[in-house]
Amino acid sequence: MPQQFAQAGGSQQERPQDAAQENQGGQTRSDVEFDALDAVLDDIESTLETNAEEYVKSFVQKGGE
Amino acid sequence: MPQLRDSGTRAAHEAGATPAAELDGFGRIFGVETEYGVSVTGADRPVDAGQVAMTMFRPVVSRARSTNTYLDNGSRLYLDVGSHPEYATAEARDPMDALAQDAAGERVMASLAADAQSKLRASHGEGAVIHVFKNNVDSAGHAFGCHENYLVRRFVPLETIERQLLPFLITRQLYTGAGRFTPDGFQITQRADFLDEAVSSATTRSRPMVNTRDEPHADPESFRRLHVIIGDSNRSQWATWMKLAVTHLVLCVIEDAVRHGRPSGFEDLAFADPAAANRAVSRWLGPGERGASDGAGADPAGTPDPLSMQRRYLDVVEAFVRERHDDIDASLPKTGVDDVIASWRWALDALERRDFAALSTRVDWAAKHCLAEALRRRRPDTDLARLEQLELDYHDVANGRLYASLVAHGRLGEPLDAATVAAAKHEPPSDTRAALRGAFVRRALDTGAQFSCDWTTMVVSSPVRREAVLLDPFSCEPTEQYRALMDSMRA
Repeated sequence: MPQQFAQAGGSQQERPQDAAQENQGGQTRSDVEFDALDAVLDDIESTLETNAEEYVKSFVQKGGE
Repeated sequence: MPQLRDSGTRAAHEAGATPAAELDGFGRIFGVETEYGVSVTGADRPVDAGQVAMTMFRPVVSRARSTNTYLDNGSRLYLDVGSHPEYATAEARDPMDALAQDAAGERVMASLAADAQSKLRASHGEGAVIHVFKNNVDSAGHAFGCHENYLVRRFVPLETIERQLLPFLITRQLYTGAGRFTPDGFQITQRADFLDEAVSSATTRSRPMVNTRDEPHADPESFRRLHVIIGDSNRSQWATWMKLAVTHLVLCVIEDAVRHGRPSGFEDLAFADPAAANRAVSRWLGPGERGASDGAGADPAGTPDPLSMQRRYLDVVEAFVRERHDDIDASLPKTGVDDVIASWRWALDALERRDFAALSTRVDWAAKHCLAEALRRRRPDTDLARLEQLELDYHDVANGRLYASLVAHGRLGEPLDAATVAAAKHEPPSDTRAALRGAFVRRALDTGAQFSCDWTTMVVSSPVRREAVLLDPFSCEPTEQYRALMDSMRA
């Protein structure tokens, strides 16, 4: 069933009034975001070790639209 | 883009295909067509990506004996030599259903790529990886599209749609743009630099932002098919839903105004130079990464500020919805109109505050932007090539890891659950013509019948040629012709 997209109470949303507040763990909202993004960067660490230019240049495709 | 044929006949049209109830109401048929990009990395010798794409599609194309084939969820897959693989969602009455079909399309492409990758590894080494990009630009500056289709009531003149919808489409990119890292900085759209003309009802030759096609795939007396070209390919499910849902509300306002012969409230919203405004919106973050602290205001030429433009549209739509709330809410079987308005307001408020962290949980460009900042904190020597690589990974539905990681760590919301997406791979929306086409394809596949389709017509060619023509995309009711066609396929 479709999930609600409404702003209020959405667990994925950081509401503006939380910006200056701390959650129970003593972290600010921005700390939570930074930690999560660091975890994401950890996940893709091996990608960050590959040759970026080769990867990018391999994608050439005409014939759009 | 394949040329779409007009497959109905006048006689069939006059046989009562006019969906009068739909003409008077606010019901809508939605569709999203996405061109995908394909690349190969890690092969032990050079591989032509076009060949790889053909290999991906071989099982599908050979079944259909055509470059165009319809799946049992009612959607269409298209592949031609030298073209991008393309997936077009089946007709949906609700943005949630179109979204589920679109997400299913990502999974379909990923499955095809996985099978082709196994075959490729047998001949080109175990390190070969097939990437399938749901994006809009390759590394050489070739652009390709994600297009939306909306059935609009024919009594609205094309010029009215052009004038009143286009500024909305240009500025909605503030929250629907997928973003792109370029040598001159980060833009919030993928394609603004590649679109250079305003509304046109001509061919796609000159890359118009919006055009209407004269094949409505419905009764041409009642509806026309609005084909929106200005839109990025989104990974964010919220963004895809918003493109469809908010555009729907704007169209409702426009249609109702014409229906009653009164102003819509959008009359004085226009850009003197829409293409320039489009490029300016794409540079909303400004020349630096964070942009001007006072926000992107009106430029010297007097182009209205894009955020103000969106607020004007929101104000008009909100007032309209207050007046006609239950009618509008009834037009969408699953989506609540109040949720659309709340999401729209949330986005504009977050943009006003330049709250990129909040936006990054729903808006593709913001997710990329925040990730780039985090990456630069960790590795200050991060260069453009690395950002471009991560951006491609973000859009890679076959082998990308970034998107899934962002979702897993709660940085990107994913409103659809996996079960809904899995179901949508093989089940069409139940409340439109797609239900009939999907069932037809399913039976044809199960019985091994020789079949072909387009959006309005289903054909079995052997042993006896039979067809069914279904002109009303709103109807999921079998006709006599359809029943006979289905019965002819019993083993």
